[in-house]
Amino acid sequence: MADFSWFSKFPKMDRATLLEIRKYLDSSFRDFSREYGDLIESFFDPLLRFLIWFEKLLVQSPWWAVLISITGLVYLASRSKKLSLGVIVSFLLIGYFGMWEDTMRTLSIITVCTLLAILLGVPIGILMARNNRTQSIVTPILDVMQTMPAFVYLIPVVMLLGIGKVPGVIAVIIYAIPPVIRLTNLGIRLVDKEVLEAATAYGANSMQRLMGVQLPLASPTIMAGINQTIMMALGMVVIASMIGVKGLGQPVLKSITNQYFTLGLFNGLAIVALAIIFDRTSQAYAKRSQQHMQGGQHD
Amino acid sequence: MKNMMLIGGLLLSSATLPAFADAQCGKVTIADMNWSSASLIANVDRFILEYGYGCEAELIPGDTMPTSTSMVEKGEPDIAPEIWSNSIKELIDRGVSNHRLAIAGNSLSEGGEEGFWVPQYMVDKDPSLATIAGIIANAKTFVHPEDPELSAFYGCPAGWACQLSAENLYRALKLEDAGFDLIDPGSGAGLSGSIARAYERQKPWFGYYWAPTAILGKYKMVKVDFGSGIDADHFRDCTTKEECAEPKVTMYPSSLVQTVTTTAFAEKSPQIFEYLGNRSLTNTQLNGLLAWMEDNQADGIIAAEYFLMNHEDTWLKWVPADVAARVKTAIKAL
Repeated sequence: MADFSWFSKFPKMDRATLLEIRKYLDSSFRDFSREYGDLIESFFDPLLRFLIWFEKLLVQSPWWAVLISITGLVYLASRSKKLSLGVIVSFLLIGYFGMWEDTMRTLSIITVCTLLAILLGVPIGILMARNNRTQSIVTPILDVMQTMPAFVYLIPVVMLLGIGKVPGVIAVIIYAIPPVIRLTNLGIRLVDKEVLEAATAYGANSMQRLMGVQLPLASPTIMAGINQTIMMALGMVVIASMIGVKGLGQPVLKSITNQYFTLGLFNGLAIVALAIIFDRTSQAYAKRSQQHMQGGQHD
Repeated sequence: MKNMMLIGGLLLSSATLPAFADAQCGKVTIADMNWSSASLIANVDRFILEYGYGCEAELIPGDTMPTSTSMVEKGEPDIAPEIWSNSIKELIDRGVSNHRLAIAGNSLSEGGEEGFWVPQYMVDKDPSLATIAGIIANAKTFVHPEDPELSAFYGCPAGWACQLSAENLYRALKLEDAGFDLIDPGSGAGLSGSIARAYERQKPWFGYYWAPTAILGKYKMVKVDFGSGIDADHFRDCTTKEECAEPKVTMYPSSLVQTVTTTAFAEKSPQIFEYLGNRSLTNTQLNGLLAWMEDNQADGIIAAEYFLMNHEDTWLKWVPADVAARVKTAIKAL
């Protein structure tokens, strides 16, 4: 009977070996963190200083000055009176319900995350579109980034960098960057071969083709990717607050553990408001800058 | 193909079902809290209930607040093996007086230990850091990760009951005037991660933590003396309350850690209720077990099996002889 135990029970590695592997990997990571932790931390130092400066700017400036500048930026980008009015109303409501400071903290960290995600993501997407091998390497990495539960990579990040803003930014970017990479890649690959041939026939070199033909034609798709990245970054606010990022995530966590339904809802709605403002502004800006094309954009 | 799967399924189920089944026990749900000691106790309970009492015991993931609320409101799960009841005193009191909850006994016989801690290696270098006066005098040592002008005090994660007591003591000790910023680590993992990181690199750390935990079993920490003694009344009436206007300095009294069940379950299965009342560990026992778990990266199941195999003298006192015999047989079969 014992010989057939593999039939009802999966023949697994014995516990001691498994334990050895786990202990070995853990202790080597610990050694790595002891050895290189300070070095890696100092690498992220400029980012940390910028994050702190930006947050202080938003939190410590008078609220009306912040509100005027945000509305001004939104109007400049979108030229939409309706949207600007929406921004004013939602920020006034946020402030009135006592969430101003948390919203500013979240706004500052999410702005940085989104900008970094776009700055890193679009070039990676372009590289993927130009080279099939790059695509076959990057795609599975993106799959891992999108599906790996956040806390799995938060454990090593916290061991290396502690808790606070930088680990928070890293966690958010890991989760939020894949859409912009994927859709940049897709958008460029979908550009008509004939159009590219025409550009080549006019004597455009590969850089000119990229900047003058591929990116402009791909921009509706890229914008859809940026939109998804923004939404996912804001969705990560609560997870980020679990490693000590201040902002709207902390009251949400508090309401989860204590079942404060209203507190959770208010802060959740503030996150939604930020997401919608980010999204509508970036979409309106993109639409305006490509009015001559009027591709697949809908409002 | 279908037949094969059916046979496989039958084999699997016959392999996992306990040989003995008691009709009166039936289905029991046990809250498996998301920290090691509670998970260990929950798995010990599951094993003993399943093999000793013939219940169909099931573990349900839980956390102090959601689990106890659900027990009061919905009568589910049946057993919460480790509730730090100071942290949700009102809820428990209300549940008991409304006949929704029954308290079986103390899961930690000496109660839990809370406090503000600094690593041992810091106290070795400067013994004054074992007192709050020494900490305040050396505030600059505890560098804030994000602001060089401030010092760091790691508080209790957002939403946990200890957030209130830690914050009130932070106010009472005037740590803010001393330059300490109260950092919200956001989660238990964030808090323990910050300790582990500091310890691995022998860096300064000062903050709230509690025992028995794997962290304090593994990393030697010193509880900071406030020099005030314990003022249990003030602690209960003010320090743990949100509306505490003028918190006074007091050390943490040892906190009651109880096994709580729903009243319906206590009435239905008095023998099991009695077992839960007997089932109790000392902090030394638990610290040892937690350190073993940490060293061997064991989860609750493995640790429970280890405990039942190696600490027979402890658990034999909890159960009557016939139950013990059945549990022993099951352990031999592992």
